[in-house]
Amino acid sequence: MKLLAQTNRIYFIFSLVLYLLTAFAIYQIVRLLIYDEVESRLKVEKRDFEAYIRTHNNWSSIPYFVENKIEVTRAEPTTQVKEVFSDTLILNRYDNELIPFRQLTFYESIDGVIHRVAIRKSLIQSYRLIEAVSLTMVLFLGVLLLGMFWFQGKLSERIWRPFYNTLARIKQFDLSHNASLNLEQPTINEFRELNQVLQKMADKMQHDYRNLKEFTENASHEMQTPLALINAKVEQLIQSEKLTNQQTHWIDGIYQASRRMSRLNQGLLLLAKIENRQFADVQPVDLTDELIQRLMDVEEILLHKHIKTTIELEAPFQTLLPPLLAESLLNNLVSNAIRHNQSGGCIQVRSSAHQLQLSNTGLELQTDPETLFKRFKKESGEHESVGLGLAIVKLICDTYQLSVTYQYEAGMHTLTLEKVHQV
Amino acid sequence: MKVLIVEDEQGLAESITDYMAKEGYVCEVSATFRDADERIYLYNYDCVIVDLTLPDGDGLQLIQNLKRLIATTGVIIISARNALEDKLKGLEIGSDDYLSKPFHLSELNARVKSLLRRRQFGGHTEIRFGNIQVVPNTRMVYINGQPTPLSRKEYDLLLYFLSNVDIVLTKASIAEHLWGDNIDSADSLDMVYSHIKNLRRKLLSKGADDYVQSVYGIGYKFGLR
Repeated sequence: MKLLAQTNRIYFIFSLVLYLLTAFAIYQIVRLLIYDEVESRLKVEKRDFEAYIRTHNNWSSIPYFVENKIEVTRAEPTTQVKEVFSDTLILNRYDNELIPFRQLTFYESIDGVIHRVAIRKSLIQSYRLIEAVSLTMVLFLGVLLLGMFWFQGKLSERIWRPFYNTLARIKQFDLSHNASLNLEQPTINEFRELNQVLQKMADKMQHDYRNLKEFTENASHEMQTPLALINAKVEQLIQSEKLTNQQTHWIDGIYQASRRMSRLNQGLLLLAKIENRQFADVQPVDLTDELIQRLMDVEEILLHKHIKTTIELEAPFQTLLPPLLAESLLNNLVSNAIRHNQSGGCIQVRSSAHQLQLSNTGLELQTDPETLFKRFKKESGEHESVGLGLAIVKLICDTYQLSVTYQYEAGMHTLTLEKVHQV
Repeated sequence: MKVLIVEDEQGLAESITDYMAKEGYVCEVSATFRDADERIYLYNYDCVIVDLTLPDGDGLQLIQNLKRLIATTGVIIISARNALEDKLKGLEIGSDDYLSKPFHLSELNARVKSLLRRRQFGGHTEIRFGNIQVVPNTRMVYINGQPTPLSRKEYDLLLYFLSNVDIVLTKASIAEHLWGDNIDSADSLDMVYSHIKNLRRKLLSKGADDYVQSVYGIGYKFGLR
């Protein structure tokens, strides 16, 4: 959930609760005030009534009490002598409607007999007042709430804008490119500090990354000559006639190791070069055609391993690549398809305008397919390969707007190359 | 045949010299650009083997200087920089071949021989060994004067052997010579075995002597027993 949406939601819920509470409180206060007013008037009337009784010592409905109804009934002498306020509804005799009244009930002795007296006062006007006041308050509060909500949204958006800018920049930031992060300097202290820290981190990362890359490259370069030396010396050594089988075996060990190292080195160098984008001459390449060519080149190996090749050509898969990398990409794919194949297996090429698939039979991976494209990941028991082939494939694809994916289904490993449409 | 080896790594220069000397070449070594530059002014070489990264200069510059003096000298670049631009630049300014380090001495030897054959006789030469006769120009092989058809790889294999007579060749160097650097699977070693078997069978069937010997655990050797 977005930060602004989250704060807006919390703010909204909080305001709503506060709003409801306020509305309820205002309603209660207004109501209390009105009741207070009505009741004090009822008390005044009670006093009037009592005064009238004292002087006349008798009661009859006279036009003196026009506004209010006064109901006098004879009461049981045992009833409590206590005055009580209560709400009651009385049917209006003209329009047959229930009208709210406030009623004061008390007991009065008229002519020596205890009577129950109920004085009522209509609340209809008061209710109207309560309604009007409450409605006005509700409207005002509602407008205030919405206004605050809108204002808050605008404010947050404005305040957080530098943060979102920074976020966007970081998302686009690519360590392997030489472009610096280049964050702006917002006026808000916290964000400025954040940007400064991020900038520093990014610069450091880029610097370290470059150093590491340079180191790999230099180390690989420098290693080629000693390796050449080892190779040469081994070659001279094996010319000796006096070697025992055991010694030959040892020498072969040294030789194999140095060859592996040299392949490893070349792989790392190639990776470093691709990362440095040292291959500039991008050209349109028909990968399908090249792949078939490549498979024909290794025909002897395929024959030797009894691997059948089938090609389903719908349309050629064409893309833009430096020719040298296209070659490397296909070499690695083909070697991979052969190396992990089994005797009597097959290799399938499926090509259409938007994707190129190379499938080969083989045992299921023992390692996690996720790590397949990582450097130095290889199936256990594989000594010949150095584990860089698919890492090179992946890097070439990533660098030149291709995607490569792996599936395993029904004994077939499939690598699919697809064009990535740039947004 | 005089060969100049321009290589600053002393051990490697030594190995190349030893190897080439066995093949009957007269070898001289230069470890620096200046020394090499001086030598190519003073002497005449049939072939120059140049390392591109020299402590005091660029091998490519040396080749340019050499080509201005004597255009017919064969040039082979050996470099730790396996860069295509270097390769193309080298070929453009007149070098004949490019080997990236590490390489096999037997491969270097085969390339030097092939280069000298092309340079000196315009390719109009034939290689004879025992009762085998090879005409590189037409890629034909004759045994006791009888034409013997070989597959492309078998022919390459035979020529590689003939360039490295009496030298133990590792299976890996043969595989690399035949299929290039890109096939590194264990299968290629099996294939070397089967190609050698086929070649041997074809040669023997035409009445050639058995020149191919297997050297336990490491490779093969071509030569008179």
